[in-house]
Amino acid sequence: MTCSEQTDGNGVCSKLEGNIIMPPSTLNESDLDRLGLETPIARIDRALKQLWEGDEAKTRASLINLAIYTENSGELIADNDLLDHVAARHACRALLILALPEAQPPRARAWIQALCRPYQGKQVVCSEQISFLLEGGNAAQVQNIVFAHLDSDLPLVVWWQADLSKNFEERLYSRIDTLIIDSSRWADPAKQFDALLTAMHAETGGFDVRDLAWTRSHFMRTALASCFQDAAALHNLDKLRTIHITHLKGQRTTALLLAAWINQRLKTTLGLDLIEKDTGPALQSLVLEGEGVRGEVRRDCESCFFSVCATCGDHTHEELLPADVDSDDELVSEQLSRFHGSTLYSDMLPFVRSMLK
Amino acid sequence: MSELENPFQETLLSRHRAEPCTVVIFGATGDLTHRKLIPAIYNIAAAGDLPPQFKVVGFARRDKTDEGFRAELEEGNRKNSRQGHNDELWGSFEQCIHYHRSEFEDPSGYVQLKLLLDKFDQERGAPANRLFYLASAPEAFKPILEMIRAAGLNEGVGGKWARVVCEKPFGKDLATARGLNAVVAETFEEKDTYRIDHYLGKETAQNIMVLRFANSIFEPNWNSRYIDHVQITCAENLGMEGGRGGYYDTAGALRDMVQNHLFQLLTLVAMEPPTDLSADSVRDEKVKVIRALRPLVGPEAVGKNVIRAQYTAGSVDGVPRVGYREEDRVNPESKTEPYVALRLMIDTWRWQGVPFYIRVGKQLPKKATEISVHFKKPPQVPFATTKLLNDSANTLVIRIQPDEGIALRILCKQPGQAMSMQQVKMDFRYSSSFGKASPEAYERLLLDAMAGDATLFARRDEVENAWKFIDEIENAWHKSATPPPMHEYPAGSWGPKEADDLLRADGREWRLL
Repeated sequence: MTCSEQTDGNGVCSKLEGNIIMPPSTLNESDLDRLGLETPIARIDRALKQLWEGDEAKTRASLINLAIYTENSGELIADNDLLDHVAARHACRALLILALPEAQPPRARAWIQALCRPYQGKQVVCSEQISFLLEGGNAAQVQNIVFAHLDSDLPLVVWWQADLSKNFEERLYSRIDTLIIDSSRWADPAKQFDALLTAMHAETGGFDVRDLAWTRSHFMRTALASCFQDAAALHNLDKLRTIHITHLKGQRTTALLLAAWINQRLKTTLGLDLIEKDTGPALQSLVLEGEGVRGEVRRDCESCFFSVCATCGDHTHEELLPADVDSDDELVSEQLSRFHGSTLYSDMLPFVRSMLK
Repeated sequence: MSELENPFQETLLSRHRAEPCTVVIFGATGDLTHRKLIPAIYNIAAAGDLPPQFKVVGFARRDKTDEGFRAELEEGNRKNSRQGHNDELWGSFEQCIHYHRSEFEDPSGYVQLKLLLDKFDQERGAPANRLFYLASAPEAFKPILEMIRAAGLNEGVGGKWARVVCEKPFGKDLATARGLNAVVAETFEEKDTYRIDHYLGKETAQNIMVLRFANSIFEPNWNSRYIDHVQITCAENLGMEGGRGGYYDTAGALRDMVQNHLFQLLTLVAMEPPTDLSADSVRDEKVKVIRALRPLVGPEAVGKNVIRAQYTAGSVDGVPRVGYREEDRVNPESKTEPYVALRLMIDTWRWQGVPFYIRVGKQLPKKATEISVHFKKPPQVPFATTKLLNDSANTLVIRIQPDEGIALRILCKQPGQAMSMQQVKMDFRYSSSFGKASPEAYERLLLDAMAGDATLFARRDEVENAWKFIDEIENAWHKSATPPPMHEYPAGSWGPKEADDLLRADGREWRLL
């Protein structure tokens, strides 16, 4: 495992393990205008009510509370656009929270907007979004803001984009139903996985975890399964020796999760060869090979499909299967489509943790 | 881990991926294959749920090459695929499609088919499962099944299974259904027989069980103590377009819709909770409902409880429509009913005294299928003087199609000084709440058949008991000396006046859709 250290121009050291490090960014008012109508926090409920009054053609729909928490102002507009896309497929009360704990003086601002889409040509179905900018706030302030503006009785799904640092504390996560993370964004995955495991094992940590880095390999895993579907290939599983994964720069954790899963399923530790590319999809190819047996899942840059090629002795099988989605909004939508819990990811975390050591 | 388990597949159970399989479609040049089956299989492939090393073989009489057959199917898929058509995917998908020309009654055609399937197995390096889909005209089912058996295709190879999927209609009366079931039973075991009813593949039909058994507010009230009556409506705003009059005039609404689709909905609404969600537990409870239907024997009982009618000339959405007997390929002297309304009683503890009203018809004002559960009125004591109490019953509406969803009608106090009440509707719509489109019914059902889940398919006893009930009505109409009359309604209306009278006699009325 390589771990390099880089120093930026200001002498700040950040630990890199091949993951994406988002640059800090400054906010300007024109960006904030895109969040909708600025509203005093104490008047949000009244403002939302006014938003719906007087337009009978609109139907308000909501199945979940979906909150995005970020501490990077450079993410704000992308997150705003993402919520627009996600709400089109998953009716929700959307909360966008940008916390800047170091900013001074402390202040809190809020915006509201309706996320609407046409329905059957005549009606408009809308979800509502509340955006917060919390400067100089602390964990208690974040909790108060989130809990005060939930659509009651609906599940709370939180995409925690920041490190699982001081604001991710017990009183918050004890109320979360589903926690979305993207471990490929973490600067220090080992430390963050530790924090995640601590929260998951806490008495009140009953939330489901959905890691977008894990979701990125969903169809690749399905495709790999099809390589080893027939009896001849299954008989040769114990001959597999090496995993080769080609991934996009910044998706090292995505590749490691995939490798950890393979080892966990095979109950062994295969040799691992990671190849990093500057462009292309997050996961570009996966090859499992050993003497007389080989399974390959490959994706061309422009293709929506994986080419699957399985060879066992003289027999070769090829097919085309759907490839994984790459964009954040598609990944989040994919996760929200699968609400049923799975222990697979949490079972695999110890394997990943050991690979990161 | 057992020797032959795929360790990678094991963790992906939620994706419902079946084992390698060849599907043989009999009657592959027909409309169903082009409009429904191939687009369904293509969409399963697009979702990545198709079994690996999958093959589909079209079996039909016309002379075609694989390439010609694929080109025709591609055209159909472009028009009918739910998720659109992707050339790259189709280019790969079509390689699994093959065509086999043969007469249905020609034994050598089945020998050749067996050789073809064996060749596919050799290419795979291992035997695969085989699913035979009977999409031909129903009269061809018997010879096809006999030939499948004669060629030994009904036996799985190398530990793999062979199954059959039968399209509706499954018989045209009890005798033919029993005859067909006997032929099927000689060829396939019941566990390998899948009688398809595409209504059961609809999301909202499957949701009926969830609504009833997973919500504690409904099931305690789901009985004769709280429910006044239930209505099931299947309205179509079309007539006999596209030459369908030829088949329809030999069937009628009772055989074509009630015996299968509407009885399936009825059983889902009326069944007792199954002990688990296994296919037989669910189907055991469903068949009990059919068995408990109070028989309508003789013309008098049928006349009192069943209204049949034909439409006369009228208009739907402002477009003039001819009468049923003037339709293309319909006998001008036809005695077939494009409309039927029934009052059914289910003689169980739960449903004692609760009528189930069913109506289905062509050339009605709109296309809609729904179930409405009408609850009893409250005691009324505190609001005895309020005028609106005449219409105070709660109604739960389950919309099957279009605009799938659930609506609950409740009474609320109108704002103001007076104690005035108004009906309001709480409305849940699948498409507003779940942006993701539901799979087509055939996608779900084909995957289930490949995966061996028969829950959403009709069992032999279910089909035969339904026909037994329907036959009594057909006999009263067509074999008695004093048959109940055939009524009329203008195309574009909500059916004959006599159907309204059927409910009015009970102090009720049809729900306005």
